[in-house]
Amino acid sequence: MTAENDTEHGQPAEPEKDRELAEFAEERESLLRITFAPLTWALHFVLCYGTVSLACIKGLIPLPYTRAGLIAATGLALALIALIGWRAFVQWDVRRTGDFTNPEGHAEHRHQFLGHAGFLLAIISAIGVIYTGLPLFILASCK
Amino acid sequence: MSDRNGYPVIDRSRRGPYPPTEEMLAEPVPQEEQEAQQRRLREVWATPKGFRYWTAVNNTEVGVWYTMTAFAFMLMAGVMALIIRVQLAVPENDLVSADRFNQLFTMHGSAMMFLFAVPMFEAISILLLPGFLSARDMPFPRLSAFGYWCFLIGGVFVIGSIFFDAAPNSGWFMYPPLATQAEGPGSDIWLLGLSFIEVASIAAAVELIVGSLKCRPPGMRVNIMPLYAWYVMVVGGMILFAFPPLIAGDFLFELERSLDWPFFDPERGGDPMLWQHLFWIFGHPEVYIIFLPSIAIASMIVPTVARRPIVGYSWIVLSAVGTGFLSFGLWVHHMFTTGLPNISLGFFSAASESVVIPTGIQIFAFLATLMVGRVKVNLPMLWIAGGLAIFTAGGLTGVMIAVAPFDFQVHDTYFIVAHLHYTLFGGMVFPVIAGVYYFFPFIRKVQLSERLGRWAFWLIFAGFNICFLPMHLTGLKGMPRRIYAYPEGLGWDWLNMISTVGAFIIAAGFAVFVWDLLRPKGHQPQIPRNPWGGGTLEWTHDVPAENWGVRSIPHVHSRYPLWDDPKLLERVDAGRYYLPDSKQGQRETLITSVIDAEPMQVQKVTGPSWISIWAAIFTGACFILPTFHIYWPAAGAGALAVACIIWWLWRDTARPPEVERKDVGLGLSLPTYASGPASVGWWAMWITMLGDATGFASVIFGFFFYWTARPDFPPEGAAHADGLMIAAAAILLLSSWALTLGARRLNWSGRIAGARIALGVAPVLALLGAAALAASVLHLSPSSHVYPAILCAVVIWVGAHTGVGVVMQLYCLAGSLAGKLTPNHDADLHNVTLFWHFQALSALVACAVMGLAPLLLEAPA
Ligand code: HEM
Ligand SMILES: [Cu+2]
Repeated sequence: MTAENDTEHGQPAEPEKDRELAEFAEERESLLRITFAPLTWALHFVLCYGTVSLACIKGLIPLPYTRAGLIAATGLALALIALIGWRAFVQWDVRRTGDFTNPEGHAEHRHQFLGHAGFLLAIISAIGVIYTGLPLFILASCK
Repeated sequence: MSDRNGYPVIDRSRRGPYPPTEEMLAEPVPQEEQEAQQRRLREVWATPKGFRYWTAVNNTEVGVWYTMTAFAFMLMAGVMALIIRVQLAVPENDLVSADRFNQLFTMHGSAMMFLFAVPMFEAISILLLPGFLSARDMPFPRLSAFGYWCFLIGGVFVIGSIFFDAAPNSGWFMYPPLATQAEGPGSDIWLLGLSFIEVASIAAAVELIVGSLKCRPPGMRVNIMPLYAWYVMVVGGMILFAFPPLIAGDFLFELERSLDWPFFDPERGGDPMLWQHLFWIFGHPEVYIIFLPSIAIASMIVPTVARRPIVGYSWIVLSAVGTGFLSFGLWVHHMFTTGLPNISLGFFSAASESVVIPTGIQIFAFLATLMVGRVKVNLPMLWIAGGLAIFTAGGLTGVMIAVAPFDFQVHDTYFIVAHLHYTLFGGMVFPVIAGVYYFFPFIRKVQLSERLGRWAFWLIFAGFNICFLPMHLTGLKGMPRRIYAYPEGLGWDWLNMISTVGAFIIAAGFAVFVWDLLRPKGHQPQIPRNPWGGGTLEWTHDVPAENWGVRSIPHVHSRYPLWDDPKLLERVDAGRYYLPDSKQGQRETLITSVIDAEPMQVQKVTGPSWISIWAAIFTGACFILPTFHIYWPAAGAGALAVACIIWWLWRDTARPPEVERKDVGLGLSLPTYASGPASVGWWAMWITMLGDATGFASVIFGFFFYWTARPDFPPEGAAHADGLMIAAAAILLLSSWALTLGARRLNWSGRIAGARIALGVAPVLALLGAAALAASVLHLSPSSHVYPAILCAVVIWVGAHTGVGVVMQLYCLAGSLAGKLTPNHDADLHNVTLFWHFQALSALVACAVMGLAPLLLEAPA
């Protein structure tokens, strides 16, 4: 998903099937990409909830291990979100352009806008992951 | 690839210049040509007359019926609230009996949530979204009409039950065992009637999502589309993931009620907590499903009022998407008092606090816009401001409740009732009314009265606070919710009296509002076209009204085209832009690409028809009859509904077009047919299947939930599903999938005979697979314990989907034989293959869980 393969600049039309596939791949990726950080949050959340249920209700895993494992998972999730956020920040490219709004209808603005939105979503997801992780630090027992 | 056994590859690329240059746009359109075009468009888009009016499917008609119906249900639910308030006005009142009272508050809550709040969003969106996007119509007009008729039938059925003293009476969240054991058809009415409406809601959500992804005007890239469209996508997505768990819950619940399968009965291994989980996985996002659309309305009004572009567009998008996700991490906060592990509660407390952040960001973005703009307060803005104030107050009490210890205090008291109404009125009722005032000129081409509007506002605003503010105190003083009478002298008397007075002031306000809506406005002079001075595309509408939606579909390059492009309106009117004509006399709209909205295709859209009404009637009968334990006619109605839908798809969708491409104006020529990811149908299928897969996942979640929560799952020495049969089922269903995929490939490469054979064998294998699956559980007795019951439920789910898959395969076979499906026109086969991808996946998961899990689960614990 780069500004190059935008057809705005009057490139010759590619063969139909290829263009279709290329476009779909490009589009699906870029709209989905802004959801990667929240998806990480969701996976982390489900993992925490599921594992704690297994530990506390089913009694399958001892709680100390559970906590240690999940705290590690929290660190991993945060690292992943940081990576996603950084890539989005680069895509946003605000340090070069100084443009915080990207209000125009051309490919470059669209590209940067998706970076901006992805970056902000990474921040909120990181906050979400931290909040979810807090009880793991604070609470040492099931009940 | 030019030769595919004699079938030439059709070139479906876009031809001609794009984007249009300024010179092209500046060229005038001759007057006679404009008039001829208008004549043709008018004729094609004409609304049917007389009693045929009801066959209309255009978004402008269906949207109006939809909103009016949802509003009528709201008024009925409001009357129920008034009766509740009268009953509670004085201590020891005996106006209504305890049972009647239970029915009243259950129905009030259910109708407000399911018949008003969610449908209202979809109704308004159907009505407005095409305007925001300069689309002629929604991509699947008959689907909207079908959804509307389903909603009407289901809603009348559910709400009508109160007149027969047969309404559900266990509260709007229907907790078992109360609701599973309730006498009479009340619970069944709730389960089946509302499931039916939920299915229609999902259909509408799919259509709205596809509409905002694929029906935008050329040039409207994702970074400049109206915020409303972003919200439609987010809220549509939330509906897709929130409703299926509830439908899965309804499915299990109804199995328990009609066949006595003990999903929620602890005596036989069931667990009522599963319902609570499934209900609130739906129920909390529901709060945001209700609230976000109001923000969306505000996001259209605020820039107009401030007369400048919205501040923080990206931030608002972030908040919408972020809220959409985070709201799914909150469900357990409704279950704080149910003895879950401390740490788990901690996760949810934390998530509840974090969702405040995106909500706050949206509100700050609006305030910032107003602060830097040149504000001209108008009536819609007054309603928005009132709503914001009330919602913020509700948010504060919400944060209090989210703290687990405080919740133990006020759980199930009037404090909760107060909080709930602060958020719902502030977050939904006020902004929706604001939207009605703002968009009324767009919808009806007349204006509502400023003076009556102010009266309504102040009555409702004051009445609301008089009614609900004291309830916080009533709650802190310990008055529980859902009681039909209370003794004197607990300090609750005068508070209740005040609340009742307030409720009637609200009612008076609504009376004023309704009068303003309905009073004759024929004498009004013609209104200005853009009465508030908005900058978005809906204000290119025609006054007096025309049915064509938009005269020609503009090319846009900014967020507020009307402000930034002074020539736009004139060119739209002259038919200078795209699709200014309908030479073949067909209803058409433009399909563009998802991210950058480049023109891709001219899509024919369906016109007026009775078929969507018939389909809705039969579908309704299929859901409604079982509440009275009438099963065979219900099955017959189901078959008729399927027949209607097949008829409608067969006759009017994905047919090979008469011409393969059309000129759409400005020298551009586009294909008229698309299949696979380029087509809207494929997107609709993909999105629908996402929701469907969520439902299936919820049933599977049930399986693992029982295993975690119940020591006797599976019970000792329990019979398991037959492993051999399961293996056979897996192999057969996967082969059917492989053949479907093969058929698509064969068909595409021109080997039609091979494709037909594959399509003929695939359904046979699928049916055998379903039979094997059924055989694997035949020896179990599902009413004895929850373990066999959930296995059988999984079989029913997969079996029913296999049935649908078989019908689809046969549909494609018939299409191929009849010449509807050809190597170059294979949209149907693409969509069916997509369905089968999901079907194969769920068959695999089902077989793995049923066949393998028992071995693992039984391992010594
Ligand atoms: C005319 C304005 C309204 C009044 C006077 C009112 C009054 C009430 C009262 C007194 C209750 C508590 C019943 C009880 O616990 O015994 C209640 C419950 C409820 N209300 Fe309202 N209400 C109004 C509008 C709304 C609106 C607009 C919505 C939603 C959009 C709504 C949703 C609910 C829900 C979900 C419940 C909970 C029902 C249950 O406990 O099962 N109400 N309402
Ligand atoms: Cu909630």
